Amino acid sequence: MTKLAPTLVVVAISTALFGCNQSEQQDPKVSINKNPYPSTYQTLPRTSTLLTNATVLTGTGKRIDNADVLMVDGKIKAVGTQLSQDNVTVIDAKGKWITPGIVDVHSHLGVYPSPSADAHGDGNEVTSPNTAEVWAEHSVWPQDPGFNRAREGGITTLQILPGSANLIGGRGVTLKNTPATTMQAMKFPQAPYGLKMACGENPKGAYGRKRKEAPMTRMGNMAGYRQAFIEATEYKRAWDKYDADYAAGLNPTAPERDLTKDTLRGVIEGDILIHNHCYKAEEMAMMVDLGKEFNYHSGTFHHAIEGYKIADLLAENGNCAAMWPDWWGFKMEAYDMVVENVAMVDAVKKSCAIVHSDSSVTIQRLNQETAKIMHSANQNGFDLKEEHVIGWITSNAAKSLGIEDKTGSLEVGKNADVVVWNSNPFSVYAQAEQVFIDGAKVFDRQDDAYRAKSDFMLGQQ
Amino acid sequence: MEKFKKSLVVVSMLASLTPAFSFAATTAITNVKVYTSTEQGVLDGATVIIEDGKIISVNPDTVTADNTIDAQGSVLTPGFIGSMNYLGLVEVGQEKITRDTNAKEADVTFDPSLAFNPKSTAIAFARKGGITRNIVVPGGGESIFSGQAIEVELTGDWDSIVATQKAVLVELGAVHEGSRIIGMQQLINKLEETQTALDSTQTSDTAKKEEEAKPPTKEQKIFNAVVSGDMTMVVYAERASDILQLIKLKSRFNLDLVLLGAADAVVVAKQLAGANIPVVMNAMRNLPESFDSLHNSLDNAGKLAKAGVKVVLATPGDAHAIYGLRYTAGNAVANGMEYTEAMAAITSNVADTFNLDAGRIAVGKPADMVLWSGDPFEYSSTIQRMWINGEEQNMESRQDKLRDRYMQKSSMPQAYTK
Repeated sequence: MTKLAPTLVVVAISTALFGCNQSEQQDPKVSINKNPYPSTYQTLPRTSTLLTNATVLTGTGKRIDNADVLMVDGKIKAVGTQLSQDNVTVIDAKGKWITPGIVDVHSHLGVYPSPSADAHGDGNEVTSPNTAEVWAEHSVWPQDPGFNRAREGGITTLQILPGSANLIGGRGVTLKNTPATTMQAMKFPQAPYGLKMACGENPKGAYGRKRKEAPMTRMGNMAGYRQAFIEATEYKRAWDKYDADYAAGLNPTAPERDLTKDTLRGVIEGDILIHNHCYKAEEMAMMVDLGKEFNYHSGTFHHAIEGYKIADLLAENGNCAAMWPDWWGFKMEAYDMVVENVAMVDAVKKSCAIVHSDSSVTIQRLNQETAKIMHSANQNGFDLKEEHVIGWITSNAAKSLGIEDKTGSLEVGKNADVVVWNSNPFSVYAQAEQVFIDGAKVFDRQDDAYRAKSDFMLGQQ
Repeated sequence: MEKFKKSLVVVSMLASLTPAFSFAATTAITNVKVYTSTEQGVLDGATVIIEDGKIISVNPDTVTADNTIDAQGSVLTPGFIGSMNYLGLVEVGQEKITRDTNAKEADVTFDPSLAFNPKSTAIAFARKGGITRNIVVPGGGESIFSGQAIEVELTGDWDSIVATQKAVLVELGAVHEGSRIIGMQQLINKLEETQTALDSTQTSDTAKKEEEAKPPTKEQKIFNAVVSGDMTMVVYAERASDILQLIKLKSRFNLDLVLLGAADAVVVAKQLAGANIPVVMNAMRNLPESFDSLHNSLDNAGKLAKAGVKVVLATPGDAHAIYGLRYTAGNAVANGMEYTEAMAAITSNVADTFNLDAGRIAVGKPADMVLWSGDPFEYSSTIQRMWINGEEQNMESRQDKLRDRYMQKSSMPQAYTK
């Protein structure tokens, strides 16, 4: 392959020269389709709806009592008191609470589905430390019953990520939690791609310890990321040159397509957002600098158990941190847990603190995970309110996914992704009663017609 | 160190409250809402008196005590009891050198008390969830017999193992290689062998008896106790077909049988109630995790209780987050379990299932109690005080120390903030 390359270059040069001599004749422009598996999502049947008399948490830090939420044509048309509108379905939500739809930035539903079966372990391409070429969306099984359970917990949007065995695991995909027969019918239109990266114990364990190949250590981890981005930088340069030469009227030969480097080039160009499994303070700091070294943004740190130790650094560099309240002790990098982690990261100006699940179980109750943090923090010197902490699982999560202009808050013009809770959502007894995606009802606890059931569960006895 | 702190607390109480505090002093907790986990149910504005580590009076007509704590309407519950987890056997799950749960050669004699570490950081954290007592189990090995259960208190003291040999554990069901038949067959064979041996020692003539008089092995003793119903047998099984087999075995061998996992229990709830078999379950399971567990649902705990099955709520496995047991009880209530049933499922039902002298606020019981600011199942409620055997507990964990260190702003590195 390397042997062959110089010959190709020579051919390319001669072609280019020849091309110039041949008056302005150019071959067709080679370009890469960045969206070859487009969303086919369509909203479910909907009517315009007015929810009335509820306690509304907007997701932007506001709480409005006795308030109404008006959804027209799938968008939030108004949030306020004593709203009225002709030709809408009115739902009396007195005594209930309304929040934006919950967004989980870290899920493996569909790629590690239920039931766990050998045939279904499609989340981790454990074949090379850099598998930026794989896309989680190509693994998603839409019939995973976990999607339905998550919807019953108010989840309207979720990012499906590859697992964390590799330094660079592959692309994640953001889905709308609408029941569908194909992945593409769930795909969130215009959501940017995410790239899963992983620090620490997992990659060195999967390769060094299990296979005696790089990375064996944390220094091997860093070398692996740097090598990958050096190659991606060269790849981008080659394409940029091709584009520039072509634009200049030359007839250059396009660089050879490389799926792995396509993704990393997308990162450098800012199209693809980094989602970095990274627990430890010192490693997150290095990953921030890695982004600076290769001129990309280091994105969101997931499982940031030690986020509280570097809250300032994260805020200064515009990193979101996605965290749990109380998962700890399963490995060394998860040993320094504090329940108030999210609150401590959040306490810094310009912060972006998120509660995430990484679990088919806790994705169903991110509201309760948030409640643990809020109450524990308030017992230890914080003064957090419901209207603030709801942002950890709505607007901040949407920001991390690059879709904050579409969902994550109850603001005029945003998608009508809405949850009606039967009581304060930060109570252990609270349940999502109705869930709307783009103004369409997708779940109703009281109405079996709006309770989706997976093909898999049909007819099981 | 903790001991030292406790005596400091006692000294300061002595100084401020009761100059005449004596060793056998009685303490009255007054003006308290008591969840007794007994037939008395919930008592409002009640008084509980403890002495020498025991509860000596609940709601007496007149209160005489050396020391009074006015609870000002707070909630008093029995200490919650965790079960079927590896508390004190594992410090960091994936670090094998900190993990004493499993061994290939583990058999029915595999005894967690030989490894239990009362200084594990998971214990102080578990106390923060109101857990005062726990049934520790090992993870076992290649055999279907995974070992024994022990009872521990969550004092963190060296003497916190209360009892060993509380139960034997058996693991059945789907296997990755081979067939579930082998496991069930091994169990049946073992029970039959034991029964036959026991019958023959009872019926054979004296000469033969003498010949066989060599002392039974440890293992034989344990199986003899199981077959005579003297030792509880906890069987992990999920699928209804396995559960029905086990119900048959219970009546055939007169076992003191407890089911663990039991995702399908709800399908055979009537049979389980009829056979008086308690079910230890994680109420948060609601996904068809495997073909053995298609009936997981958040309303299962409530349905089983309604059907008359004694339900124990647990969060099995590594014990780093068992502090959340009270929230699983809250979720069970949110999904249809009666509140007092859910309370029993983490107190008195656990005690009854594993034969513990705990789990109730009743005269004669050890004073394992937790004073809460409000509904103990709610996230908003906090622990005000906790007692184990009447001794007040330190509620600070390593996590609290980390939080407090990083909450302080200092010009020096945090390493100087103690």
